[in-house]
Amino acid sequence: LFPNPEQQTRPSHVLVVEDEAALRAIVAEELRSRGLIVIEAVDADEAWAYFESGGSVDVVFSDVQMPGSMNGLDLARRLNAFDPYLKIIITSGRFAPREGEEIHAFLPKPYLLDHAVAAILAALEARRRGGVS
Amino acid sequence: MTEKKPCVLLVEADILVRHPLAEYLRECGYRVLEVNNAAEARALLEREPSAVDVVLAETDGASSGSGFELANWIRRNCAGIDVELAGTVAKAAEKAGDLCEEGPALAKPYDHSLVLDRIRRLMAARERNKPKR
Repeated sequence: LFPNPEQQTRPSHVLVVEDEAALRAIVAEELRSRGLIVIEAVDADEAWAYFESGGSVDVVFSDVQMPGSMNGLDLARRLNAFDPYLKIIITSGRFAPREGEEIHAFLPKPYLLDHAVAAILAALEARRRGGVS
Repeated sequence: MTEKKPCVLLVEADILVRHPLAEYLRECGYRVLEVNNAAEARALLEREPSAVDVVLAETDGASSGSGFELANWIRRNCAGIDVELAGTVAKAAEKAGDLCEEGPALAKPYDHSLVLDRIRRLMAARERNKPKR
């Protein structure tokens, strides 16, 4: 009944998981210019390490094929088990998620920056409204 | 027209170190590009050499070349870019603090020792939350 001022003022956190540095930087900088806090992970293992440390995340925007012990879909499954309210957007030029995969949205590569930002903002809105993906 | 922010390329293998340092430098008024290793740094510099003013790199450099090798490569190939090498997390935080002293913002948002405290807390949390093997 009483609004939590800390919750109201906390900026939204987006975890961008992408092994191509230039693409990661372009997406991250565009999101930062819109007032979001962006965490950049170079692969799924880094993204998971950030989670293990208790770092805040509202939306995950992840590539699928990356070096390391997990791909983006493995990461999504692990994160879903950890927090079913987390909004996960998967992007790939080669792999599409299977039906029944618990993700919020899929964005095929190559994508337009505007489309990626719109998908992330929509996911943040869905996160604010609450509910499982 | 908005003034171009000076740009720091931050080369650090651990996301729990890289993200807090990058956020600190952003609060000091820098544009910050984040990469995980020397190979990513070189790829970004080859693509956009004029975008970067300072490189802040760890000396160990994880899997793809040390910070020393990267520094030598930058001196040979990217005239005008300053390179700051840090051998420890504490040194990296100190160098980030130095950059903030001379940075574009009028005042530092907080002391670099607070960044170091935050990094240590995140690393301790990661250790605590790791599944027991």
